[in-house]
Amino acid sequence: MNPHPVIEVEGLRKRFRTRRGPVEAVAGIDFRVQPGEFVGYAGPNGAGKSTTVKMMSGILLPSAGRVEVCGMVPYRERKRLARRMGVVFGQRTQLWWDLPLEESFELVGHLYRIPPAERAARLARLEEVLALGPLLAVPVRSLSLGQRMRAELAAAVLPAPEVLFLDEPTIGLDVEAKAAVRDFLRELNRDQGTTVILTTHDLDDITRLCSRLMIIDHGRLIYDGTVEALRTAYGTTRVLVVDLAEDEPVQVQGAVLARAEGRRRWLEFARDEVSAAELIARLLAGHEVADLTLEEPDIEDIVRRIYRGEAPP
Amino acid sequence: MAEHAGVYLRLAAASVRATARRPAYLVVRFLSAGMIVGIEVAGVVLMLDRFGSIGGWRPAEVVVLFGLAFTAQGLALVFGDTLEADKVSELVRRGTFDQVLTRPTSPLGWVVASYVDTRFVGRMLAGAVTVAWAADRAGVAWTPGRAGLAALAVACAATIIFGVLLAAAGFTFVTVQGSEAVNVLIYGGQYLASYPMQIYGSALRFVFVWVIPIGLAIYVPALGVLGRQGPAGLPGWLAWLSAPVAGAFAALGGLAWRAGIRHYVGTGS
Repeated sequence: MNPHPVIEVEGLRKRFRTRRGPVEAVAGIDFRVQPGEFVGYAGPNGAGKSTTVKMMSGILLPSAGRVEVCGMVPYRERKRLARRMGVVFGQRTQLWWDLPLEESFELVGHLYRIPPAERAARLARLEEVLALGPLLAVPVRSLSLGQRMRAELAAAVLPAPEVLFLDEPTIGLDVEAKAAVRDFLRELNRDQGTTVILTTHDLDDITRLCSRLMIIDHGRLIYDGTVEALRTAYGTTRVLVVDLAEDEPVQVQGAVLARAEGRRRWLEFARDEVSAAELIARLLAGHEVADLTLEEPDIEDIVRRIYRGEAPP
Repeated sequence: MAEHAGVYLRLAAASVRATARRPAYLVVRFLSAGMIVGIEVAGVVLMLDRFGSIGGWRPAEVVVLFGLAFTAQGLALVFGDTLEADKVSELVRRGTFDQVLTRPTSPLGWVVASYVDTRFVGRMLAGAVTVAWAADRAGVAWTPGRAGLAALAVACAATIIFGVLLAAAGFTFVTVQGSEAVNVLIYGGQYLASYPMQIYGSALRFVFVWVIPIGLAIYVPALGVLGRQGPAGLPGWLAWLSAPVAGAFAALGGLAWRAGIRHYVGTGS
């Protein structure tokens, strides 16, 4: 393996003092990220995701342990690291809100000391890939969420960072905008070799983009491996939620009754054993059904199940 | 740092351009900031008229002090308004400050340049107009030396106020609820500086000259501007001491700011 990882984290801890006593947001985690990896970083709210990202980007000082990004200690060499790292927070803007979009790009160019010719060349490419041309003269505050997210990405990668930290970049976006963001990130990672750390709740983002997935819960890394392995191990269980016409016991071949509440039944079944269509057909053959929905397992569900020790990793 | 100056100028220019995109809003803010000064000065003039003089100072002379203080405050707030406790808490609360920390610039330079508030230029100009008007009524014959003293008073007082704001901002990173205490400091201090210090008696006078350097920054140079004799034992060269005192305030403010950031990075929000 490459002897020089882009990110090295060893025994990393962060304790916060709160009114209810000390809380260990990150409770000793270790990992390395090699150049060009696309890592999904998931976990329930408050699991320690953003605290880890903040320690990697120099916003927070670790309580213990070691973190190095691009060979630098983030909090000690914050400004120097900032030149080689990009950060996009999905719900905040780093663009100049009241000014036309093109002025943000110009300012980023100056901030990161990108030579004008270089900036023009990179911008031309980004404008094409992200379809920004018509937006350049529009004030940022007038952009739609999807347009703004494309612009945020362009601004973040304009300085050609080696590492890109993304926090919920597709949150609130419609299907089309999500696809545009994902296509862009995939190409960026493949063509420029940019290392990407993606924090998200969206399992879809992770399965479509990430070669590797890390799951954190209660400050500990509880999964670090390929998305494939996780999917085979845990993502195969789907749930059919059924509202029966009458309150009666249900038994369907290929499914397990996971929960019952009034006339509602949760039927778990394995994706590779039976199709939803087949299961529904079997169900309808023996019961009268008022309504039904199909639930795919979400990342938090998987996290919870791994953490509870149901189906060990 | 020199190459950085360009970046901060660009940030400041962007902030001004952003405000200028709403010219009506800008004009209203500008005028209202100026009008507030006008109203407050009118109040002081009316009040002083009843007394005739305070501690041997004629109303017009007092208003000169007042005007210098307003000008200094306007100047300090053009750059320092964003350091007020409520604004800093807002930056922290909305996560904006985290983003500032991911930029390849000094956080202070970024925050100050990005939130230049042109509204306070209105306060500055109104303060300057007040000084000119009151000095005329007080019969001040302007000389380059007196103008220089007035400029010194404004620059030093502004630096002191900026230093205090900076320290308060640093403190805000620790408490995130300093608003009230800071306002008492700024406006309370301002209020004191606006009245001749003789009314405070000789022992307290000494304390205020040193303990409240706003008084030092404006009062002592103003004696020179008005051509007045200071209280006994106050040498004329004391006016120039305003500069190092102001510098010390700015330096202490800078230290407090840095300590605040260290605390913030250590604890996080």
